[in-house]
Amino acid sequence: MVSLDQLKEEVKKALSSGKVKYFIGYENIGSGWQVRPAFIRQPEDVDRLVWTPACFHNLVRFLHDEKRRRAREKNPDIRPVGLVVKGCDSRSINVLLQEKYIERNDVYIIGVSCELTGVINITKLNQHLNGLKPQKVLFGSKGTFKVIVDDREIEIEAPDILADRCLECPANFPVIADVILGEEIKRNPGNRYQSISAYEKMALDERWSFWQQQFSRCLRCYACRSVCPMCYCDECVADSIAYAVTAETTADEKAQKTRWVERNPELSENIFYHLVRAIHLAGRCVDCGECERVCPVEIPLRLLNKKMEKEAKELFGYEVGFDPAQPPLIACFRDNDPQDFIR
Amino acid sequence: MKRTGVFVCHCGINIAGTVDVKKVAAELAKHPGVVHAEDYVYMCSDPGQNLIIQAIKEKKLDSVVVACCSPTLHETTFRNATKKAGLNPYRCEIANIREQCSWVHREKSKATQKAISITRGVVEKVRRNESLEDVSVPVTKRALVIGGGIAGIQASLDIADAGYEVILVEKSPSIGGHMSQLSETFPTLDCSQCILTPKMVEVSKHPRIKLMTYSEVQEVSGYVGNFKVKILKKPTYVDPDKCTLCDECTKVCPIVVPNEFDMGLTGRRAIYIPFPQAIPASYTIDEKACPGMFDTAIACGKCADVCKPGAINFDMKPEIVEVDVGAIVVATGYDLYDKSMMAEYGYGQYPDVLDGLQFERLLSASGPTGGRILRPSDKKEPKEVVFIQCVGSRDPELHWPYCSKICCMYTAKHAMLYKHHVHDGQAYVFYIDIRSGGKNYEEFVHRAVEEDGVLYLRGKVSRVFEDNGKLIVWGVDTLTGKQIEIAADMVVLAMAIRPSKGMDELAKKLKIALDKDGFLAEAHPKLRPVESMTSGIFLAGAAQAPKDIPEAVGQASGAAAKAMAILSRDRLFHSPTVARVIRNLCTGCGMCVSVCPFEAISLKEGKAEVNEILCEGCGTCSASCLRNAIQVKNLTPHHIQEMIKACLGG
Repeated sequence: MVSLDQLKEEVKKALSSGKVKYFIGYENIGSGWQVRPAFIRQPEDVDRLVWTPACFHNLVRFLHDEKRRRAREKNPDIRPVGLVVKGCDSRSINVLLQEKYIERNDVYIIGVSCELTGVINITKLNQHLNGLKPQKVLFGSKGTFKVIVDDREIEIEAPDILADRCLECPANFPVIADVILGEEIKRNPGNRYQSISAYEKMALDERWSFWQQQFSRCLRCYACRSVCPMCYCDECVADSIAYAVTAETTADEKAQKTRWVERNPELSENIFYHLVRAIHLAGRCVDCGECERVCPVEIPLRLLNKKMEKEAKELFGYEVGFDPAQPPLIACFRDNDPQDFIR
Repeated sequence: MKRTGVFVCHCGINIAGTVDVKKVAAELAKHPGVVHAEDYVYMCSDPGQNLIIQAIKEKKLDSVVVACCSPTLHETTFRNATKKAGLNPYRCEIANIREQCSWVHREKSKATQKAISITRGVVEKVRRNESLEDVSVPVTKRALVIGGGIAGIQASLDIADAGYEVILVEKSPSIGGHMSQLSETFPTLDCSQCILTPKMVEVSKHPRIKLMTYSEVQEVSGYVGNFKVKILKKPTYVDPDKCTLCDECTKVCPIVVPNEFDMGLTGRRAIYIPFPQAIPASYTIDEKACPGMFDTAIACGKCADVCKPGAINFDMKPEIVEVDVGAIVVATGYDLYDKSMMAEYGYGQYPDVLDGLQFERLLSASGPTGGRILRPSDKKEPKEVVFIQCVGSRDPELHWPYCSKICCMYTAKHAMLYKHHVHDGQAYVFYIDIRSGGKNYEEFVHRAVEEDGVLYLRGKVSRVFEDNGKLIVWGVDTLTGKQIEIAADMVVLAMAIRPSKGMDELAKKLKIALDKDGFLAEAHPKLRPVESMTSGIFLAGAAQAPKDIPEAVGQASGAAAKAMAILSRDRLFHSPTVARVIRNLCTGCGMCVSVCPFEAISLKEGKAEVNEILCEGCGTCSASCLRNAIQVKNLTPHHIQEMIKACLGG
């Protein structure tokens, strides 16, 4: 079991020694059981920290803000930022390291093991409780969750309410960290691509109409992009404001510049946006599942990214985010790479 | 204020036959910003170019589109014309309406529409083009020749005679290549070594040729005019300056391995000289064979004991030599197709089934039998010899589809020479066709048939097997339709010609392409037959395609001339359409650095930086960048987007 006291102790130690600039963990929202990211700046604030099955956020995303802040400030504080990461989150740190977006000493990592469980899916929890309101959601004994409802304790088997991504997770233990809490327990994720097996059985035209239907609902709120630990470009192609502006670009050229994607939620623009994002995440997405979780219209974005993950694995034997020294997928070329899918 | 001129070429009927060129010009004249549009029968002709020059001057054009053939053909022509008219040449672009339109379509109305779309796209591109200046690079006035066969020797001599330094690299211990193994050469039957060795000596004595035998190219970087090459000099363990060629060492060496020079028909010692006229004249210890070389050395050292001048040095180490060269000639030659692929002909199973080079060695005065034709099995003179042509060649189902070209001629020579040695013998040749195109070649084959009574049988051999001391050849004569069985004493296989072993590795190091059969690919099959696709790297000899000696020598001189054209210049100019980094978009992820095939990009202070001299403008970086932070000049995503828009009629 991950000890919350130990977590607090580690954070306190890091903050009071001045080793880290500030710490990002999780705290409860008000007196409820739900959780939000917590920015801990003072050692005495560590008591705000929690570690519960509702800590689904991938905090790595906040490193983008820190990087931009540093670029903005004249004399930035370059001490590392402390982060609490799960196995999946830690893989996204590895990808950022691969892409030289951050350096190892930009971040102080407290890794927490998901052991035999993971984080929950709120919809599944609500369905399971059938209208009852939980007061607390906690980790139970081996492989269960403990939910307090009406001052009663209910024990729920993890697979019943686990987030989909956790059911297919190949990394329940942090792959990179300065301190690790909890035990490394081997867990067999079963079929890592379970969630796409139904999709893969669809014919091409069925898939096309499936995605058309899904993307037609997109509001282009860009929540998926905002929450993604990999979407760190200062200028996203989806915004394309200055993409071809150079010293030599004339005012005339700027004036007639059009965008790759217009930000109006039309089907063709939506498809373009999502497909560009999927391609840009190929070989980079660690399946933290945050995009799908935050989508207000519940577009199954994990399906798209998971499919790309599987392609990269099957075609090129590429696993994302286990090794910070591994080159990015697009930069790996071997003469014997398969080519028969090029038509 | 855009003032674009559009010039549509008829190319005789090449374009005008399928595309309504008048309509293309008329439609483009209506395109916004196009102030001049006309068509002409041959734009590339002088009057055609003058039309462009005139229009630029009179209509004050700021950009030019020529709708014609592929830019690989006339882009330079029209850019030069543009330059002549006082406009920056990079303000001129080609719209390819021939290869990509008229030649591939039949329906005139649709082809015309497509030609209009293509041209519109290029109009939108060219008006966004920057005026660029060529990148200038200094030239290292030295050439590297890889391969010391006749082609490499000829190229080296030609370049060195023109006054430039040459480094000739050969992987085996001596230069000379396969030509040094041959007995006599068709169609004149002059002795191969007699005509080759003077050239070998010339190489060794030439003041401007640095000969590096027993060496291999390990790494090549750089670009035309400025290649950096790392050459691995393997240790021979014998100091050639001290060696007096007394040959005492081979008498005491206890190890015998197959002799490559005799194609395995004889053995050689672990310390050996490849052949008496070897250049450099020195011995080499084969480290794979010598027991003194293994870690668990049986302390042999017998050669060192008897070497009076003390030339043997077991402590010699591999050495990496780095050289700078301006041009490279690749002349790595050929090997015969792996005979183990030919089980039906019993090669390897029966000692008297030979390949062409082995038969050459039997014919050669310096060969294992002193020039007498004797069966390897029992040293008896064969009275019936069957020659089989196209073994592995012209066989797309099982082996190689191409014709190995030289086998018809050397088989005729073999059969003829056999008859000269064994007057009462009979030579049979199984052939598919006789290909004897070449000066005096046809006459030579006729001589074999008419004067020497060689029996030519048109057909293939299905099987060779041994029966009662004879090699039974089962074949068919397709002219008479009869099955043929010959009880032969010897069978000679004209094996397919393959690129020499290890050439694919070398091609990767040089970043030059191979064709579908594994030979080096030339830049253009007709017009650039001695150039590779990489500028500054030229091809010579059988590495490019099967060739006989005169062709290999001719191509070598051609490659040398091409190399000299580079070496004779002080500076080279390089296209300025190279990649550029947009620093504020670059996150320094280094993806472009790792995908660049020319090693032209590096990371400086967390941002990518392009070496314009190394960059070939291929755009791989641009395609890999998730942020559009690296773009090829005059072909940015913006250019492409506008071209697509114009093509789609937007």
